[in-house]
Amino acid sequence: MNTQRAVNIVMIEDDEGHARLIEKNIRRAGISNPVHHFLDGTSALQFLYEDVNGPVRNGPSLILLDLNLPDMSGTDILARIKAEDSPLKRAPVVVLTTTDDKVEIQRCYDLGCNVYITKPVNYESFADAIKQLGLFLSVIQLPDPDAV
Amino acid sequence: MSLADNAAALMERRFSRVVVALVGLGFLAVLAAGFGAVLVMQRGQEHTRWVNHTYLVERHVNGIRLALEEMRSGRRGVLLGLADGRDTYRRARQQVDTEIAAVEELTGDNELQQANVRELRGEVHVLDSAMRGADGDARFSLEEQVRRNASGRLVALAQRMLDTERGLLVEREAAQGASLKTFYVVLGLAAVLLLFVGVMSILVILRYTTDLSRTRDELRGLNANLEGAVKVRTQDLQRANEEIQRFAYIVSHDLRSPLVNVMGFTAELEASVKPLAQLIEDAGQRDATLVSSEARLAVEEDLPEALGFIRASTQKMDRLINAILRLSREGRRSIAPVPVAITPLANAIVDGIRHLVDDRGARIAVQPGMPTVTTDRLALEQIMSNLIENALKYLKPGRPGEIDVTATADHGRMLIRITDNGRGIDPRDHERIFDLFRRSGQQDQPGEGIGLAHVRTLAYRLGGTIGVASRLDEGATFTIDLPLIYAGDEKEAA
Repeated sequence: MNTQRAVNIVMIEDDEGHARLIEKNIRRAGISNPVHHFLDGTSALQFLYEDVNGPVRNGPSLILLDLNLPDMSGTDILARIKAEDSPLKRAPVVVLTTTDDKVEIQRCYDLGCNVYITKPVNYESFADAIKQLGLFLSVIQLPDPDAV
Repeated sequence: MSLADNAAALMERRFSRVVVALVGLGFLAVLAAGFGAVLVMQRGQEHTRWVNHTYLVERHVNGIRLALEEMRSGRRGVLLGLADGRDTYRRARQQVDTEIAAVEELTGDNELQQANVRELRGEVHVLDSAMRGADGDARFSLEEQVRRNASGRLVALAQRMLDTERGLLVEREAAQGASLKTFYVVLGLAAVLLLFVGVMSILVILRYTTDLSRTRDELRGLNANLEGAVKVRTQDLQRANEEIQRFAYIVSHDLRSPLVNVMGFTAELEASVKPLAQLIEDAGQRDATLVSSEARLAVEEDLPEALGFIRASTQKMDRLINAILRLSREGRRSIAPVPVAITPLANAIVDGIRHLVDDRGARIAVQPGMPTVTTDRLALEQIMSNLIENALKYLKPGRPGEIDVTATADHGRMLIRITDNGRGIDPRDHERIFDLFRRSGQQDQPGEGIGLAHVRTLAYRLGGTIGVASRLDEGATFTIDLPLIYAGDEKEAA
């Protein structure tokens, strides 16, 4: 575990049920990092770029992103995070969504998403996927935004 | 449209009637002219014959006069005592008789001339006996008187006969002239009629061709309009179709979201039931009165049962939603037309399910050398494999399966047939089986009723159709009708 600097998990997910299930499974996977949950894109971007505790100002973070948001498309957020002049372009983004359309997946990878996970309706595989994610979180070395 | 058609048909009928009438009139005129010509020619021939006849009669009458003259000169010879005078007289006398007989024969139809001939003969007889009697000088003067009288009468008679014949000729010529005039009148009438018919025919034909060319122009215009209309309609349809696909896509997505929650929290519930059951177990062991039978029943039976139903239903719902998603995705997938040889494609499909075929003891015959079609390979493969798998799936138990894959190309279309001898499909269900989630017959095979809906969507996507011919227990034939060369999307063409 990366304990030296707490990695913030920013979860952008409009469905509270999904958010709860994701958090539960993250916790079950043994990850205790703080999770900041946002229900829409606008407030998430506000936090990401402006907030004092946000990743731009305060330490590394991992972004869990749902593509279907009420106010904007998740891919727009992804494009913004991964844009050339974005301070967050090195932050790992995990797209976690119901869409399993190949074109959409490819588009996300093209935009720079690090992992794409389809939310399976089968809860066991869902839980497994999150556990995998936890494993992933425990091994990845998050870049230090101050080093940019 | 139909009114105009009726009017056109009416006009056409009227036109043909007019043309037939005109042509009939023309024929009538020509016939009348021909008939008149024949009649006039016959009259002319008759007239010529009569003219000849008149001339013949004249000639013979003149012959009589000549022979009488001869008789006279013969008699003079006798009187003068010439050696051949008597012979000459006799010959002339015979000649007169011959000529008179000829005239009598020629004028056999004319009472007047016959009377004249009889009179002539009598006069000749009188003259003859007068001349013969002139041998003796005693009665010379009397005989001479008789002879002179007879001779004069004979000359007058011959002249009368000639006049009669001439009169007849004039009469006949007048009749001939009248008939000729009639003929000319008829001919003139016929010519006028023909001219009228010709002009009318030309007018009618001109009007008809004008109508025709106008109609053709109209048709051409309509045709162009129609093509435009079809294009517009096709675009509308495609737009509507795209909208439906998008709708299906969005709806299935949005349906999926809550389903994730239902499934997730059901699993959470299941997880919570375990410690509860444990608690009840522990409590029961410690003090049996602590646990009511209802609480035990609820935790041990009702809760797991309810959760099981929720889980099964949500799983089914997930499958259905996935099917809709897949269908909408197929409907939107872009088509990459390439030449596809059907026979190798079918063989590859059959090879892919070889183990299934052998398991079921079925035989699949793929027609060798089937034509090539230019279409999307993947879509066609999915269609055919779906149909072949279906044929294999719904065989009649106890009857060795026989499946035939055949194809024919005709008029720019490709017909691929997949025929089996399986359990068949009730004709009432022929439309239904292509609907999503609808199935037919005994539900003894796994499936959601998606395959044929999928096949139909793909067939439409390829610009084709699919149909089935089948009766219960008598096998089924699925026919895919595809354009030989995929025409491309309107979207892409535009």
